[in-house]
Amino acid sequence: MNERKRLWFINWPLLIAVTALAVYGSLMVQSATAGMPGGPGLFRRHLLGLAIGLVPMVVVWAFDYRTLQGWIGPLLLMDALLILSPRIPGLGATAKGATSWLSVAGFRLFQPSEPAKLLTIVVMAAVIATYKGKIERPADLAKVLGILAVPLALIMLQPDLGTGMVFVAITAGMLLIGGLKPRWFLILGIVGFILVGGLLSLNTALDKALNRDVLIKQYQLDRLQVFVDPTRDPKGAGYNLEQSKIAIGSGELTGKGLGSGTQSNLRFLPEPHTDFIFSVTAEELGFLGAVILLGLYLALLIISLEIAASSRDLFGSLIVAGVMTMWTFQILENIGMTIGLMPITGIPLPFMSFGSSFMVTNLAAVGMLLSVWTRRQGVSGY
Amino acid sequence: MLDFRQQLKPRFAVLGFVVLAVLGLLLARIWTLQVLDGPAYAKQANDNHVREVTTEAPRGRILDRNGRELVTNRPTMAVVVAPSSINDEKLLARLSTVLNMPVADIKERVASVKLAPLASRTVAIDVPMSAVAYISEHETEFPGVEVRTQAVRKYPQGSLAAHVLGYAGEVSQSELELPDSPYQYGDIVGKAGAEKSFEKVLQGDRGRQLVEVDAKGRQQTVILNGEPVAGRDVVLTIDSKVQAVTEKALAQAMEDAHKAKFPKARAGAAVAIDIKTGEILAMASLPTYDPELFLGGISEKNWQMLTSKDSEFPLTNRAIMAQYPAASTFKAMTGLAGLEAGFTSPGSTYDCKGIWTGMGEQWKKYCWDHAGHGNETFMEGIRDSCDTVFYEIGYRFYRDKGEKLQKFARRFGFGADSGIDLPGEVSGRIPDAAWKASYNENYPEYQQWLPGDTVNLAIGQGDLLVTPLQLLDAYAGIANGGKVMKPHVIKQVLDAQGTPILSTSPEVAFDSKTSQGNLSTMKTALASVTKDGTGKGAFVGFPVAVAGKTGTAQVTGKDDMALFVGFAPVEKPRYAVVVVIEEGGHGGSVAGPAARQILAACLGQKIEHVTATDASR
Repeated sequence: MNERKRLWFINWPLLIAVTALAVYGSLMVQSATAGMPGGPGLFRRHLLGLAIGLVPMVVVWAFDYRTLQGWIGPLLLMDALLILSPRIPGLGATAKGATSWLSVAGFRLFQPSEPAKLLTIVVMAAVIATYKGKIERPADLAKVLGILAVPLALIMLQPDLGTGMVFVAITAGMLLIGGLKPRWFLILGIVGFILVGGLLSLNTALDKALNRDVLIKQYQLDRLQVFVDPTRDPKGAGYNLEQSKIAIGSGELTGKGLGSGTQSNLRFLPEPHTDFIFSVTAEELGFLGAVILLGLYLALLIISLEIAASSRDLFGSLIVAGVMTMWTFQILENIGMTIGLMPITGIPLPFMSFGSSFMVTNLAAVGMLLSVWTRRQGVSGY
Repeated sequence: MLDFRQQLKPRFAVLGFVVLAVLGLLLARIWTLQVLDGPAYAKQANDNHVREVTTEAPRGRILDRNGRELVTNRPTMAVVVAPSSINDEKLLARLSTVLNMPVADIKERVASVKLAPLASRTVAIDVPMSAVAYISEHETEFPGVEVRTQAVRKYPQGSLAAHVLGYAGEVSQSELELPDSPYQYGDIVGKAGAEKSFEKVLQGDRGRQLVEVDAKGRQQTVILNGEPVAGRDVVLTIDSKVQAVTEKALAQAMEDAHKAKFPKARAGAAVAIDIKTGEILAMASLPTYDPELFLGGISEKNWQMLTSKDSEFPLTNRAIMAQYPAASTFKAMTGLAGLEAGFTSPGSTYDCKGIWTGMGEQWKKYCWDHAGHGNETFMEGIRDSCDTVFYEIGYRFYRDKGEKLQKFARRFGFGADSGIDLPGEVSGRIPDAAWKASYNENYPEYQQWLPGDTVNLAIGQGDLLVTPLQLLDAYAGIANGGKVMKPHVIKQVLDAQGTPILSTSPEVAFDSKTSQGNLSTMKTALASVTKDGTGKGAFVGFPVAVAGKTGTAQVTGKDDMALFVGFAPVEKPRYAVVVVIEEGGHGGSVAGPAARQILAACLGQKIEHVTATDASR
């Protein structure tokens, strides 16, 4: 069977779930941006992001992922370059305190950290795949963590705490599938805890010594503290969370109706089309709308798990597991922060939130899943 | 390569479990928020975006009987300061410079305890535009300071009828705490006079709007629009022309008193009434005050001034709130009562030797004319205000033991509220045995009612106390066939188009049931007072026949008080007037000329100020 014909081995459930999510997301972005100045323009950009995303999706899908296994070095280099690119003078742009945009002539193109997630997944999968499903030597683990360290360090320098957390979650998911022993997770957890604690202390000490806000920015700390007690500052950092909870709660069972959310339309809700798109959904469509959304995510993740299990090789399974962990963590973090379960970080909701880089990256990730599925075990010719 | 799949199975299971756990956790939390706590959040969301905005309703105007504006409203630029700013010395200093006002005055106003603890205090009204502009441009230098447009009362006629109109001010804490108080902080409510009496109609309904606002508080849409309803206009029975004459005549009476060597005269009252309807045409009280002092809240200093003895309590409306001995003016009551009881008759004669010993030598009493009036008929006794005549009549009442004099006086409204529609009236006192016993509860030796008590009452002295309005009412009753009409100052309430929605109709307050013949006799007697008697000097040349009575009251520790009360025309009485001048001397020379001017104004006659000399009582 030739290459062309093989592409017809499409995972329809995946495409249907993704399409449903994209339609749902577009509906909500439209509703959230309707009342904004330049709202229609934002909505068109969202649709454009969807359309553009179809290109990398198809290209990645057509591309045989297995070829990538041999490109660890160049891919890691590219990964680092991508994340570093906003730092190159004349190419970077800063938004909300993080230099995370690649911009040319003042026009913000995309956030390189988004595609960098996929590159990191591929590189990490390639490395872990060489351990044949057993990570027993500390040196192997160290190598994986080293690969994580490169993008993570660069991301934290932007600084972008949320994306950093995504990278850690992806790594954890892939180490699980790659065969890391449970006790190592425990050890890593403890070490991580100590490191974070140490970092916070160091941060405080440095801030004091230099009398300057270095390392972890104050607003990031504020957000974390507000997560612990949202009422401590209702008009400041806690305001966003409080308003989000009011939006979601006031949606009750059936919601206020599409486009009728008072919290979102009257702008009590911050960033309703990006970070807080779930709050808009829950306010306008109620608990039923939330259940439908979570149902679609459950379908997406179960289908992903099925694709991971069907891969003809460990490399493919690892890639799919990485993507799946990425989505799971982003869903947890994004929805979690809107309901007060997680600290507020700027993590968007996959397929729902406004944001082209994010949408394109997620569609490319779908392409990777399709690529693994199409070349799965049992398909003739492979 | 097949075994990697077997190896991976449990790991996928773990991953699948993580996915289920994550989604389950989210779902549980969302369920709590939306379904369990949903209604509470729905209320919060509603509170977030729905605001109640209230618009003040303009207070109704107060007009005189001819539609002339006595009180209306005007907008003013006011500077209000949050009470928390009291300790910001720098701010107060800056305000002092901008408002050209002493820091102490600003402090006093900010510290006002009459308002709600957190409500902003009005520091200055009628702030010049330059100061408004300066404060607005330097907002950051004036934290807690706000410039507002406020509606305040406007008095186109100045202090005219100040005591009738009363004044309005910010609602007090106690008024707010009344059960079902319709007010909210900062409301302007009537505090005295007509402003207080007719508060319910003058006060409009606040407009209540529910508006949808966005996160920045900007108005989006109006959900519910309750327009403010302006307060009703109130038409008073006051005739501003008569009122002006009355006030001027009262002031002139003070000067007359000063000229007649009664230098302490500074307080008094005068009232003119329509005897058929009870409509008050004019009501004046001296000293008076400037109602403008109350705009934007009265200062402590001014309040002290308006309520102090030193300035003779200018806020007091003496026409209804002060009580005096009626003196000789009460002789009309004693006379009528005597006629009714059959204790005297028009032709009864008395012998006045200037000294009267009817109760025995040791209880001798003098007529004001120590030379004596000689032979006096009852009619002459009224004309000359001969005390001896009324001592005799009074003593007769005493011997009768029936307290008929007191009972008769009460039938004309003495000792009771007149029922006037103004707040704060006092009811005076008709002394009788029961009163004396209870008044001297702790002094048994003073409890017994003595012949002298009735005799003193007969000439309007002793323990008798009347308000100028009561005295006026009694004479109006004599003029009106024995019926005392209920005095009132409200004529109509107008709707927004100026159409009357409420008109007062005449009401009998006291029906004395006196025989028309005796009333007629008394009218004739009273008419002779201004023709040939103690009131002659005051009414000489007056084109309309006036029936009236002078009075000169003795008040312990004070100069004599001058009174005149009467009505005109004698044949078909229409108006009654009372004038009382504290420490003003003689009724005929001080109160009479003032009453003449007021009656002239009521009757549309030429207003003349005459100088009369009279030393009678």
